[in-house]
Amino acid sequence: MPIRYDADLARFEAACTVEDALPLAEWLEATAAARVDLSACTDLHTALLQLLLAGRPTVTAGPEDAFLARVISLPPASGP
Amino acid sequence: MSELFDQFVVEAQELLETAGGALLALERDPADRASVDELFRAFHTLKGASGLFDMAPFTRLVHVGEDTLSLLRDGRRGMTPELADRLFRALDQCARWVAALEDTGALPADAAQAAETLVRGLSGVSAEGAAGGGEAAGEADAFPWVAALAGEDREAVGMAEGVLTAIDYRPDPDCFFTGDDPLALFRRVPDLRWLRIEPAEPLPPLAQMDPYRCLLRFRALSGAAVEAVTPAFRSVPDQVRIGSVTLAPSAAPPSAAPIAMAPPGSLAAAMLGEQARILDLPGSAAERQSRSAAVARAVAAILTALGRPVDRSVVAAACADAGTLRRFLADGPPENDPAEKPAAAEARAASPRRALRVEPERMDALMALVGELSVVKGQLGPLVRRVGDGELTRDMKAFSARLDALVGDLRHAALRLRLLPLARVFDPLPRLVRDTARRLDKTVELVLEGAETEADKDILDVLGEPLLHLVRNALDHGIEAPERRAASGKPPGGTLRVHAFQDKGGVVVEVSDDGAGIDPGAMRKTAVAKGLLAPDAAAALSDDDAVRLVFAPGFSTAGSVSDLSGRGVGMDAVRAAVERAGGRVEIASTPGSGTRVRLSLPLTLSITRVVVVEAAGSLYGIPVAVVGGVQRVPRAEIRAVKRAESVVLRDRVVPLVRLRRLLGQPEEGGEHTGAGGREADCVVLAELGDGPVAVAVDDVGERADVVLRPMSGVLRGLRGYAGTAVLGDGRLILVLDLRELL
Repeated sequence: MPIRYDADLARFEAACTVEDALPLAEWLEATAAARVDLSACTDLHTALLQLLLAGRPTVTAGPEDAFLARVISLPPASGP
Repeated sequence: MSELFDQFVVEAQELLETAGGALLALERDPADRASVDELFRAFHTLKGASGLFDMAPFTRLVHVGEDTLSLLRDGRRGMTPELADRLFRALDQCARWVAALEDTGALPADAAQAAETLVRGLSGVSAEGAAGGGEAAGEADAFPWVAALAGEDREAVGMAEGVLTAIDYRPDPDCFFTGDDPLALFRRVPDLRWLRIEPAEPLPPLAQMDPYRCLLRFRALSGAAVEAVTPAFRSVPDQVRIGSVTLAPSAAPPSAAPIAMAPPGSLAAAMLGEQARILDLPGSAAERQSRSAAVARAVAAILTALGRPVDRSVVAAACADAGTLRRFLADGPPENDPAEKPAAAEARAASPRRALRVEPERMDALMALVGELSVVKGQLGPLVRRVGDGELTRDMKAFSARLDALVGDLRHAALRLRLLPLARVFDPLPRLVRDTARRLDKTVELVLEGAETEADKDILDVLGEPLLHLVRNALDHGIEAPERRAASGKPPGGTLRVHAFQDKGGVVVEVSDDGAGIDPGAMRKTAVAKGLLAPDAAAALSDDDAVRLVFAPGFSTAGSVSDLSGRGVGMDAVRAAVERAGGRVEIASTPGSGTRVRLSLPLTLSITRVVVVEAAGSLYGIPVAVVGGVQRVPRAEIRAVKRAESVVLRDRVVPLVRLRRLLGQPEEGGEHTGAGGREADCVVLAELGDGPVAVAVDDVGERADVVLRPMSGVLRGLRGYAGTAVLGDGRLILVLDLRELL
């Protein structure tokens, strides 16, 4: 399971695929102050990115992957 | 604002028409530079003008059309029938939108979707062109957001200026299902300098969001060449636009030049900046001149929309070259001397010499008055004659003659006001022929002659629909497929000729084709099969009359109803429309070598020429258009079978009806008519669509031009009368509609 949900923190690990979209959507919807940790994420499917843009969780750690870092540096609340 | 909007609607209609014509010309001759330019200008102006209003789908569509044309113009893309189809479709959509705008003031709800579909079609074409040919500068138009990049984004791009490759990727919303991962594609873009991911439409709240629907839009800039970037998007050519853009020096990019007249960063500011860029483009003197005129129009319109109207002449002067325009936009208009202002306002009022648009109702009122005046004037002659001899009479006669001449001139002038060239009804034909021929896989050359022939606006309105139908019919049933033509020794391409000309007080339009013609034998068979005629009656028909059967109601010669001609308007509808307007239809056909249909219509509907007839002491008018002749028929020649009478006229047996009987008047025999009754009847031969009819009347009088007034009020429902009219001597007549009466 590439995304591990831990109370209000979701950890993205390795390649996160479109299969994670539905659980992530449900979790984002159910979690009040959601936080995500993307540091270990190596690949992020567009569907997940879209959910992050829509749900605007706090990004506690940006991705280390160079390409993803460029994409994720913009979104909401606090930058990395 | 609303005035500006109205102006936009009118201008857009003109531009769309121009564009349609240019596109047709271009398809015929892809090397036609003038047409490409004209087409491009039309799209460009439409883009600029539509940008002033809230109609994003419209602007987007013409914008993409313009991009496509710029490829075409630069020779990076060839004209193909498919491309023409797509551009035609875009023009059609715009025309529908303009019509909707005129009606409701807004685009229909599905506009965005419709635009998207058409844009896909067009930009698919332009992306291909881009991938194939390699882009040059000038494509910046296609990626307006590039020019709008703010300072920090420019830094992120990592270079202040130079040629970059822009990527605009709007994934298909269902792309996740087909296994696409749009974001992943960008990993494969070499030298990715800048990437922005935005929702293409506002994202719904999470609870309502479908996580499997892609709503994002990707925009990116790469330092690599177009050819190097394109492969990354090979799987989604229809969803992406790729082109090279030149990032202008950030010190003084055109759009960054301070534009004092529009809020910085606004669409208006970008458009104004763009206008200056247009003036920079190379071109011949004539091109530059027309461009500067277009730019001046656009700038004036933008400024007006911003609530900062500036005098046209000032704008025109400022649009002489790019530098002047930029200065003008940066500094604002030169302050007018207060004393100068009224003069400037006057100049503006006087300068636009556009065609005068007059409400049709006012024209009709004028026409009616002129008609009345002619009638009243006609009563002066008899009055003068009654005065007797003397000096007074001589003066009155001279006066009457002068009045005569003046009224004649006035009537002529008023009539001319309503005359329009037939070009108006010819205009849709090239497009119709092109589309239809393409659909039927036939090659057809359309020859239009006499488009400058003039006719009354009402006549043109009557003519439009039947003409379209005749042309459609000729293409569908007349002209054969190329193989069949070749087999019968004809050139593979058919010729369709539409020829208009003036003919003794009327206008004639002939539609002729060099197709298969109509087989009289087949017509007879069909008529019998459809139960329209008894077999012996069909056999007795002459060939010409058999061909004429196409005008009979419920007749269609084609074995199957095609989607082209089978629209419920048959040839009988053509005949009915033309005859309702007081005209006639004739058809001549030679099997194997073609068919010619001739529509003859009066010059105007406002003045009708009638034969005045008398029945039971009242006067009636019969429109001359249906009268084939007037003659006296001896009683002995009228054969009666019970109450049905007939007479032989011009070697034809013609049914005879008595007007008295038709109108429910007492029979002539009932009253005392001179010594021993009459030996002959006055008969008017009426040529109606389904054959001649002899109408017996008491007496036939003069022929007169009258202004026909349709029945109004409670009389409106009265069948059998076309209307009332006043004769020159002031007597009122009822004008008959024989077709309805019989």
